[in-house]
Amino acid sequence: MSLNTIERAQGLRVRSQQDLAAGLFMILLSVVALFLASDLPMGSLRQIGPGMLPKAFAVICAGLGVLLALSSLRYNGEKLSGWSWRGVIFVLGGAVVFGLTIRGFDLGPIKVPQLGLVVSGPLVVLISGLAADDRKIKELVIFAIVMTTFCALLFKYALGLPIPLAPWLLGI
Amino acid sequence: MSEMIAHLQLGFGVALSLQNIALAFAGCLVGTLIGVLPGVGPIATIAMLLPITFGLDPVGALIMLAGIYYGAQYGGSTTAILVNIPGEATAVVTTLDGHQMAKQGRAGVALGTAALGSFFAGCVATLIIAALGAPLTKLALLFGPAEYFSLMVMGLCFAVVLARGSILKAFCMIMLGLLLSTIGTDLETGQERMTFGFPPLSDGIDFAVLAMGVFGFAEVLRNLENPETRDVVRAKIGRLLPDWNDIKQSFLPVVRGTAIGGILGILPGNGAVLGPFASYTIEKKIAKDPSRFGRGAIEGVAGPESANNAGAQTAFIPLLTLGIPPNAVMALMVGAMTIHGIIPGPQVMTKNPELFWGMIASMWIGNLMLLIINLPLVGVWVKLLQVPYRLMFPAILIFCCIGIYSVNNQPVDVAFTALFGLFGYILIKLGFEPAPMLLGFVLGKLMEEKLRQALIISRGSFMTFIERPISGGLLAVAVIILVVALLPSISQKRDEVFTE
Repeated sequence: MSLNTIERAQGLRVRSQQDLAAGLFMILLSVVALFLASDLPMGSLRQIGPGMLPKAFAVICAGLGVLLALSSLRYNGEKLSGWSWRGVIFVLGGAVVFGLTIRGFDLGPIKVPQLGLVVSGPLVVLISGLAADDRKIKELVIFAIVMTTFCALLFKYALGLPIPLAPWLLGI
Repeated sequence: MSEMIAHLQLGFGVALSLQNIALAFAGCLVGTLIGVLPGVGPIATIAMLLPITFGLDPVGALIMLAGIYYGAQYGGSTTAILVNIPGEATAVVTTLDGHQMAKQGRAGVALGTAALGSFFAGCVATLIIAALGAPLTKLALLFGPAEYFSLMVMGLCFAVVLARGSILKAFCMIMLGLLLSTIGTDLETGQERMTFGFPPLSDGIDFAVLAMGVFGFAEVLRNLENPETRDVVRAKIGRLLPDWNDIKQSFLPVVRGTAIGGILGILPGNGAVLGPFASYTIEKKIAKDPSRFGRGAIEGVAGPESANNAGAQTAFIPLLTLGIPPNAVMALMVGAMTIHGIIPGPQVMTKNPELFWGMIASMWIGNLMLLIINLPLVGVWVKLLQVPYRLMFPAILIFCCIGIYSVNNQPVDVAFTALFGLFGYILIKLGFEPAPMLLGFVLGKLMEEKLRQALIISRGSFMTFIERPISGGLLAVAVIILVVALLPSISQKRDEVFTE
């Protein structure tokens, strides 16, 4: 193999996984946006339609994504590091549980009544708290109760926001 | 001049009511309280504390928000000095000498100098805003849609150039922000755009949802992943007030820092972020013995801290006079103002003078409060710094959840925010810095509106942006900074500045 081809072969290796993934991510988002905006009229320059800017932005995003992906072949950069799914699941899951329980929900066969802050508050603290490597359950339980009490006093009474506390128990 | 004094009088009349002083105080206190927590920058702090202003009238809410803003800024400096963790880009410089001073047992003097320097900078910046507010608002009246559009383009170009990390990635974030801003009902035709036919999306993505998802939740995920090494100072805090020698050493750096920061802060497009860096570099250049820097030189705290605060405050000028936020924190302030029914821009000063001048006066009061609150409470902040992260983030989370729920009383918003948390986490993992996205998102709707108006006026000719002198000039500046930033020699320098 001549030196030239070795160099070329080296030239085409992925030097930055992170940049390549970032470029592909941008392209993916742009394609989704272009698909969603496909039936929006572009209009003319004189009278811009609702589709013009979303499509234009999406095309620019895609272009930038391509540039980013190409540059990952040329410049050395970072690798993709590990993803901590535990954090994602517990932290974001805690928030979702809060959203589902604070006013209750009704999804087909599953029904949850309005539980209010008295239940949702400790739930979000407890669930998200599990994401920490150095969690201590007892401490977390006490902290959940303290934080909920504090938030109830602050938001409901001091600030007067209309947040349900425990409609099923206290009627407020 | 007399006009300015009359305006300030009006402002202080509003801001000095008992209720508003209390609000400024409370804002500064909670702002510092949250801002001091390591890993919680000003953006996250303001996003988290937004809901506690909901029950207030607009004037009070803005005064409290301004207090939160200063508190968050100052809290960041405290963390930088005591723990060596910069809450945001601008506090990086403070860690260099501030933390060294703290290690030498002069933490108190470093904090005191930072507070006094910031107070001085704040006083000057308040006067600058009061002096420039009225003329710039008149200038704003000369701006047609074309000029506004070009100004925003220029601001976004500045934001790209001044963002941390790769320019290409910052550009991606701005464009992504712009793209996200087009989701929702089209303002002119009423057509739904990219909503998946999902009704909660028809009003567009809620600003608070995006901000708290990307800066609240995603930051928590980022911090959980990199367990920080907290280097809390064990040495004594020592006396707080600088002695005569310290004052002599730091007075001129404070003045220079204030001038540099104040001027850079006015630039649309995150000029404020440059202030501390510029100030530090200058102090190091003109010092008799540059080797002291990095080893606890008081000038290295006094100058950048003053520049930081001056810039943080003059950054309000483009927002209040032109309605254009220059950076992500100001974008957050726009979101907050909109929630209270105020659209920032030149009309605020004419329509709501008591709000405009009241807020400016309260900026000065906020700075005074910081001085009063911070110095005696340093001990409390040190205690707070020792709260383990395993308790801190659940507290952040419950605050965010209640906050998002309270914006519209919509539980679905909380789930949306979690989704954006995931989105933000992916962005962080891919090496994107999400702050410019927030700016693009906030400017997006306004840009689209102005672009459409300008093209209707010009009958579809893009030349209008170049032919009109102000607009053409702004675009030229935008092109120049982009080209300059992309020149290899400069981009190397830029990397040095941001890695230092």
